[in-house]
Amino acid sequence: MNTLIQKFSLAAGKVNRRHIQIFLVLLTLSMLVLGAGAPGMSGGIGGF
Amino acid sequence: MILVLAIAAGWLSGLVRSRIVRKPYRVPEISMIWLVLVAVFPQLLIFHIPYTAGWFSDTWASAVLVISQLLLLGFVWFNWDLIGFRILGLGLILNLIVITLNGGLMPLSPETARALYPEVPPSVWQIGSRPGMSKNILLLYEDTRLAWLSDSILLPEWFPWTRALSPGDLLIALGVFWLLAVEGPDKPTPQYNSPD
Repeated sequence: MNTLIQKFSLAAGKVNRRHIQIFLVLLTLSMLVLGAGAPGMSGGIGGF
Repeated sequence: MILVLAIAAGWLSGLVRSRIVRKPYRVPEISMIWLVLVAVFPQLLIFHIPYTAGWFSDTWASAVLVISQLLLLGFVWFNWDLIGFRILGLGLILNLIVITLNGGLMPLSPETARALYPEVPPSVWQIGSRPGMSKNILLLYEDTRLAWLSDSILLPEWFPWTRALSPGDLLIALGVFWLLAVEGPDKPTPQYNSPD
């Protein structure tokens, strides 16, 4: 158990500000294209 | 889905490019992120979550789509200094124009709908209706205002996801690709002056 926690701590220690920034930008752009784009029947036609 | 694919492709290209120039991968700084959340949340309820999509009429759907896209245009305006946002903004404007001119939803011709879903009986495609919970409205190509800006570009059949795109969608895909592949990696690292 201690080893597992230690491994998680090590992995968390490697996550820095730059990683969080990249994640936030990717998330924002994903939301943006979801809202801005209108590809043919992206929401699905449902019921068929 | 093709738009999300553009994000993945742009990110991977940026990573490869940063490896080549031997600099850590960086993303451009984006401001007013909260505006995207405010703009897209109602769209998620109306167009993407089947449980909540049924609560809203087509009139609501079209009004929300136009308002949401105007808010996204505001977000693009705040980040106008980035070339990728200019390309993406142009795509957004083209989509918004054709959507607004045709009643608030993206026009799709019955021919394109039949090509997308050949297994669905043709009688299902009623002109003027909104298929399922999509952002589309079925309109004859000749009755569509600025039809060339609508979802009229069909991708090859082997393509696994949504295959009908508008020119605006293509520009949006190009814009996000540019942002992540070109404007991210070469950004200069901030120089900090040592107090010594």
